[in-house]
Amino acid sequence: MEHLVYPSKGLSEQAFEKREVLFETWHVKAEYAWDTGVAIGKYLAELKEGRIVGRRCFKCKRVMVPPRMFCEHCFRPTDEWAYVQDIGTVKTFSLCYVRWDMVRLTEPEIPAVIDLDGASRGMGIMHKLGAVDSRAVKIGMRVQAVWKPPAERTGSITDIAYFKPL
Amino acid sequence: MSLLNNLEHPTDARIWRGDLPVYHRYTAGVAGEKFLRALKDQGAVYGTRCPTCGYVYVPARLYCERDATHLDDSTWAPVGPAGALVSFSAVWVDLDGKRLDAPQWVGLVRLKGASSVLMHYLQTPTGALHAGMTVQAVLKPANERVGSITDIAYFKPL
Repeated sequence: MEHLVYPSKGLSEQAFEKREVLFETWHVKAEYAWDTGVAIGKYLAELKEGRIVGRRCFKCKRVMVPPRMFCEHCFRPTDEWAYVQDIGTVKTFSLCYVRWDMVRLTEPEIPAVIDLDGASRGMGIMHKLGAVDSRAVKIGMRVQAVWKPPAERTGSITDIAYFKPL
Repeated sequence: MSLLNNLEHPTDARIWRGDLPVYHRYTAGVAGEKFLRALKDQGAVYGTRCPTCGYVYVPARLYCERDATHLDDSTWAPVGPAGALVSFSAVWVDLDGKRLDAPQWVGLVRLKGASSVLMHYLQTPTGALHAGMTVQAVLKPANERVGSITDIAYFKPL
């Protein structure tokens, strides 16, 4: 079979940087826009106003955050909007010494799941804790949202800068 | 607000924007590299002749796609620079679809000694082209050549 193997060579990053080989480059324009839908669209619009909205199902009585238009338990449409508080309880958390882009940190970021007051059990939202000593964070700790100033809000979950101990 | 709400303006829809970072490098390959280097450094167009079927590939290839014969160094030979115009067309839009004031002529050229055809630009002051006519490659000056098929500026009628 050796006669079927044609000469080739592996290329290093250096071969490209030093232009040792001829090559073409192409940057694909792969932009997209994702429609947030009725429920998340309203959720994000309300965040911009400094409020957290959920959705209530009359059958199972749950208040779901983030909101959805369909109850996956009862298999029926949800019924009404329901505001919940920006105060909640730390359900679980992590001390993260590596940033999303793999940069090491001396002070950890503290992602946490927070059960908001007014939302049903198991509806914890994921956010970050701040203004707290990382060693003092405990499960069950009461926390409150720290909102960005209205002018800086864009209709995003990051309109809440972080949650701080109450 | 989403597209499902009855919006007066589509821009009212709340959308989440993203961009996938996709970046390509496409290398010329073993035969392509040698072909383009010869064009850049010698100003010569090379083909490879398959010893099994006799077909002459231009640009030069590493193997014969008809019988999978390896086309080694001994099969390389210069072709052209003149050849026969096999077919041609006037292009009235640019790569972005914008209308051009004057047409860009493109053609398929079978260089002398080649079996395959090469697609390239044609330069024709009079517009008098016909299939079968002889055309010749016009190369860019040596100091402007970069190792690309566009180191041949265009083909012109002889």
